Amino acid sequence: MPLKVLDPTNETAPPLGQKAPRLASLAGKTIGVISNGKEGTQGFFAHLDRMLREEFGVADVLRHVKSNYSAPAGPDIVDEIRRWQAVVTGIGD
Amino acid sequence: MSERGHSDMHFAARTYDVGDLLAAQELYHANGWTDGLPIVPPTEDAVHACLEWAMTPPDQLLGIEPVRAVPITAEKLAINAVMAGCLPMHFPAVLTAFTAMLQPEFLLHGATSSTGGCAVLIILNGPIRRELGATGSFNALGNSDRATAVIGRAIRLALINILEVRPGGIDRSTLGHPGKFSYCIAEDEEGTPWMPLHAQRGLPPEVSAVTVMAGGAPRQIMNEWTTQPEEILETFAAEMRANMRQYSIWSGNYALIIPPQLRDHLQAACWSKADIADFIHARARVHRREWAEVGKGAVVRDRGDTEHAALGSPDQLLVVAAGGPAGGFGAVIPPWLGDKSRAVTLPIGACVDCEPPGQ
Amino acid sequence: MAVMTTRFVSAAELMARVLGFPGYEFAVIAHPISSAGDADLRDMAAAATAQARRLLLGG
Repeated sequence: MPLKVLDPTNETAPPLGQKAPRLASLAGKTIGVISNGKEGTQGFFAHLDRMLREEFGVADVLRHVKSNYSAPAGPDIVDEIRRWQAVVTGIGD
Repeated sequence: MSERGHSDMHFAARTYDVGDLLAAQELYHANGWTDGLPIVPPTEDAVHACLEWAMTPPDQLLGIEPVRAVPITAEKLAINAVMAGCLPMHFPAVLTAFTAMLQPEFLLHGATSSTGGCAVLIILNGPIRRELGATGSFNALGNSDRATAVIGRAIRLALINILEVRPGGIDRSTLGHPGKFSYCIAEDEEGTPWMPLHAQRGLPPEVSAVTVMAGGAPRQIMNEWTTQPEEILETFAAEMRANMRQYSIWSGNYALIIPPQLRDHLQAACWSKADIADFIHARARVHRREWAEVGKGAVVRDRGDTEHAALGSPDQLLVVAAGGPAGGFGAVIPPWLGDKSRAVTLPIGACVDCEPPGQ
Repeated sequence: MAVMTTRFVSAAELMARVLGFPGYEFAVIAHPISSAGDADLRDMAAAATAQARRLLLGG
């Protein structure tokens, strides 16, 4: 017996985002780091901080740790982004 | 538009024509729209019946999942409820449960995507349990009755389909647990003088309600050798301490499922749910140094003397009267991860003037 | 620049798509971080730094 059945999924499309323009150089720039604060991240970002300064001449690396590692960064951190020229963040365990 | 049509409701969902029931199964399985088990093909008639019963228009917005900006409409939830096997009378509980999950304090994205692999525990209270035949008796945490089976399953299918919470996709669960198929229980309110859970959490006892909690798998305890409340509850507390040591030390909502045999002793000694919560709050505690006894010495560091409590406050404990009449068993259901997700209780009812939760 | 450990690459690809950035490129480092010693963390940071050149800078 033929049936007409309905789609159970969300059919609305997400708004297409736009990548920020790439930088010509990182020298003298301020990079913000948004960390989930999990075990190991302190050591990882300490090394990354040093390497970004040594390799690219980055002026400042500002580290922020999310208050909840299972949620997106809060508005206090997001507000800071306008002061940075680049952001490093990620997903990991 | 179906042949009969529903002039009072317009559905936004795309439709598919399939030859028969088996063809419908293969379509839905092939598209990743199931939990692996057969589904009830969601026809317009069946979806219409659910929405009509709940007096909810198809485009009613329950809320928007904020991390992915995904709208949750009554129509899409009803489609998944029909697929799960819900009849119209089951749909109001499904609506209420998902609305509760969309409250910010539940942290829906974190709870459902985490490697921690929790499921959504759904607890039914109030008169609706009797209307639905939700028993809260034998096999309460397993397959106890149709209503709890399909209400729990509807939530999982909605997560899979509306929010793409699929294993290896957004669902990063390392292990998960069987509650991810369906994890719904009814409280046995008639079998206890205790205040029902929803009343404890602030609702009038005469309304029907749903509580949702991001929960791990049940941890079963047994103590049939005493009638002393302190000794019975010490066994529950010990299981919570073991969870803190072996799984996660952080305080949050724990659910205790207490069947009649153990409940009788507590009730005979006139212990209320509040008395139980006070006792558990005091006894379910560990010191960080205990991690060293279970292979986690590497992270004790210099904080070994720090004491951790399973509950931040007694009211974080959800005590639920449920289970079959014989057997000195109980269950501890631990939180996904401390208080990152908080249990939410909402009344079931037709909501004429509801706003979706504030974003 | 988004940095993913290897075990989260599929999650990152999916999240990029559902957020409206299909094909968004990110750096990949070894997994896991939580139990890695300092030498391993240093190697992971070096891997991220090497990929930063391509991901953060134009051309």
